[in-house]
Amino acid sequence: MTRRVMFKEILENLLSLRFVLSLVLVICLFAASGFVFVGKFAEQSADYWAETNRNLSSLREECSNALYRAAFYRQTIWREPKLLSLCAEGFEKSLPNCFRSDAFASDLPQVKGRGNFALPHFSDIDWVFIISTVLSFVALVLTYDSMSGEKEAGTLRLMLANTIPRYKVLLGKYFGSMFTLAIPLIAGLLVSLIIVISSKHVAIDAAAWLKIFAVTILSLLYLSIFVFLGMFVSSRSAHSSNCMVLLLVVWVVLVILLPGGGRIFAEISSQSPTQVELERRLDEVGKEIWDNSEKFGKNAGNMSSDPNDPDNNPPARARLKTALTNATNQVRDDHHSRLLAQALTGRNLTCISPVAIYARASEAVAGTGINRCADIYRKVREYQAALKEYVRSKDLEDPASLHLVNPELSTARSWRAISHNPVDFDTVPKFQERDLALGQSLKLAIWDIGLLLLFNLVFFAAAFVSFLRYDVR
Amino acid sequence: MIRKIAKKEFLLNLMTFKFAMGTILCMVLMAVFVPILAKDYQQRLKIYNDNVARNEAELRKVKVYKNITPTIYRPPALLSVFSAGLEKQLGDSARIELGSIPEVDAAPTGDNLYLSIFTVLDASLILKIVLSLLAILIAYDSISGEKERGTLRLILANRTARHQVLLGKLLAGVVTLIVPTTIAFVVGILVVELSPMADLTWSGWTRIGLMYLASLIFISAMYNIGLLFSCLANRPAISLILGLFFWVVCVVVIPNASVYTATRIRPLEPKAKTDGQVALLRSEINPETRRQIRQTVDIQSYQNMSESDVPGAFGHWYVRGCSKDFFECYQKTNPVTEPLRIKYADKIWEVESGYLKSVLKQRQLADNLSRISPIFSYENATSILAGTDLASFQYFVNRAKAYRNQIVEYIRSKTNNFSSPSYFTTCSIEDVLEYEKDWGAKRRRDEKTFDPPLNLEDLPLCIYRLDLTESVRKAIPDLALLIFANVLFFSLSFVTFMKGDVR
Repeated sequence: MTRRVMFKEILENLLSLRFVLSLVLVICLFAASGFVFVGKFAEQSADYWAETNRNLSSLREECSNALYRAAFYRQTIWREPKLLSLCAEGFEKSLPNCFRSDAFASDLPQVKGRGNFALPHFSDIDWVFIISTVLSFVALVLTYDSMSGEKEAGTLRLMLANTIPRYKVLLGKYFGSMFTLAIPLIAGLLVSLIIVISSKHVAIDAAAWLKIFAVTILSLLYLSIFVFLGMFVSSRSAHSSNCMVLLLVVWVVLVILLPGGGRIFAEISSQSPTQVELERRLDEVGKEIWDNSEKFGKNAGNMSSDPNDPDNNPPARARLKTALTNATNQVRDDHHSRLLAQALTGRNLTCISPVAIYARASEAVAGTGINRCADIYRKVREYQAALKEYVRSKDLEDPASLHLVNPELSTARSWRAISHNPVDFDTVPKFQERDLALGQSLKLAIWDIGLLLLFNLVFFAAAFVSFLRYDVR
Repeated sequence: MIRKIAKKEFLLNLMTFKFAMGTILCMVLMAVFVPILAKDYQQRLKIYNDNVARNEAELRKVKVYKNITPTIYRPPALLSVFSAGLEKQLGDSARIELGSIPEVDAAPTGDNLYLSIFTVLDASLILKIVLSLLAILIAYDSISGEKERGTLRLILANRTARHQVLLGKLLAGVVTLIVPTTIAFVVGILVVELSPMADLTWSGWTRIGLMYLASLIFISAMYNIGLLFSCLANRPAISLILGLFFWVVCVVVIPNASVYTATRIRPLEPKAKTDGQVALLRSEINPETRRQIRQTVDIQSYQNMSESDVPGAFGHWYVRGCSKDFFECYQKTNPVTEPLRIKYADKIWEVESGYLKSVLKQRQLADNLSRISPIFSYENATSILAGTDLASFQYFVNRAKAYRNQIVEYIRSKTNNFSSPSYFTTCSIEDVLEYEKDWGAKRRRDEKTFDPPLNLEDLPLCIYRLDLTESVRKAIPDLALLIFANVLFFSLSFVTFMKGDVR
């Protein structure tokens, strides 16, 4: 019986104007997102490879000069454009994409490239955007009259006059709406994927297919919340127009206002750590170390170009400089984690809305967004440590060096604190960002998936109870 | 007759669930968000006041003309509570220096890059989303609903002209929508007025008044759109669906898509290219300076170039004592090197303004594309009136540029084209001679005495005030567009209704 209700519902929906309008709108949007992505991806990849190759060729040159020059070469590491930003772009265009680092210290992440600061913040037309705003709206439009509409038409009492339990009607209607909703979703995804695959710049590998599949499942889970919500509201009221009004209000609050409030929440909950503050902290740390320079050994504060000058104390100097760099690195890391924490707090507060949860889960699966940027920064810091270790091990091979691997370029140059021998470029570690496997990405998203399930359960229970007690006359 | 229809329609509207819901939502949202936005404004105002005070304190410490490098700050706009625009996205300070022209600074000081994962929320967002939705919800069944219920043919069976019915409906709709709009504005203004911060000036009141007016034109445009769909469809369910889809396209699709299209049609060059050109120009400065110095003075004749620096204002140092050679050499070279720095600042600005132009062109294109949606025109008009749009920001940058030229001229006139020793040192020629005799004694004495700060009473002040008439002039195209949308959609529904079948 459930199946019969479902088929009736699907057929009725398929013939309705709202379905046709949604189908057209959604397919157009998905097609646009495909074209937009292909163009953007080609441009970003070209930029990325040009910059990365420039960086590597400079590094190669420095390696062939001397080890110390390779160590002090400030590498520019760019964020690689990702195929799966097709699914969830996660505001990456306005997030840091440029990371600079040598073997001793890294700068804070920066935004560089073709971004336009004068444009208003906008979300890319990626899948998550289309699904979370437009398709959720379609879900409400399809379900707002599922109960109250039939009641108005008088068919609900006819249906329930037969020997059909109410829960079967509810389930039939739910599956009917979900299938109807899946049609524009799947059609749109296919259109978008076909456009992307047929372009010559992009190749989708097996792992990416799996992740795309996972995002599709997440999307269905998310849309199901809105279907339940629509049915719940629909079985609370006798008039379908009132249901529509109520649902629109809920939609505006959940989809537009709450996610938009994130910035305000973040700024109210904690003060932005400012650049001025960072510089003050850096000054303080530096001053403290310089004032206590004798702690690192006699004459640690002195540095003249002659290594045999009795006023110089190379080991003490190296200790001082290392301590100074470690301290400033620490200050920068703290600053960075405070920046990140502020944004993440804001985001967690927006997670009252399923839109934010869904976006966060898809970003985790696709491996994009703010967490990816933070992750790259962490990996750059790890890479920096690995590079330093490499310099240290190579330096030991050179008997002419003082073996004082420390972050002062002038001592490395004039005292030979670090080896001046050239090194083989191929042995130098290079920065690499590895994609997570699907299992690991899902693990990151597990809480969000749980929350989405919870939302489903709550609205299902609400719809169920309301419909059981619904006056069908 | 129009009045009678309007009155009936208005009373009917007042009793509906959608009207109650929309009005309550507007009120609640304004009451919740405006205090938060106002608090945010206060925070920014405090930072601004601190910055200005610090700048003034530094100005009082200036000992030599070379050290005059004040920073001017853009005051936060109070009306950003109503329309945030680009207020937080763009730079809010400009350092006035001889060697550079203030440029557009992308990130305001203390901005957290990671916060860009959130869209901007302000009162106009609430107004434009909720009110436009309410307008469509109220309009969708005004004609098609009566058609379905069969009351429309009864009305028209009397001697009522069709245009009277339509005008009556329009009037009733607009009057109905004025109620939540007014409530939202009153709540917003009350919250702003009650919170402890700068009072609204009359220009602020005028701006709010104009925003209110813009809101009315906007909701009337949205109502006309709903009316058109109501005339087009035979059943209210259909006109509702049509109206809602149109609304979603206007609110969600067009703003994002147009910005995106603009970045595709007119892509920006990577900033790194401009940075490279600037770096190249900067690297020319030192060799050029040395060449010019060699041409003007015989550098070899100055043997003893000793000096002692002490920290001065704005984080710079100044010359506290020096040898006679140093003293004379700098008096001769400064009139050469400083104009050179100014010249290079102009050259660098030329390169940077080229980049800036392409940035602004992209933005212009995005704006023009967005204007298909009346919601954008409304948003733009309110942000212009609030002084948070791009043009207000450009005004700030231009102001900073003009102020920098004023300061340069001031220093030039005060120091006789940079040739006076007061440009770089506090010593006079007598001090210098004394130094030459006994460097140590003078230095010990100097450590106890302090140089008097310069008298900067006649230093030009930077006044940054947005002109009201200018804002209004800039808002006119968008307001005109909104009025045009009103006329267009009303005439379309007029034609449809005149020819339509009322049965």
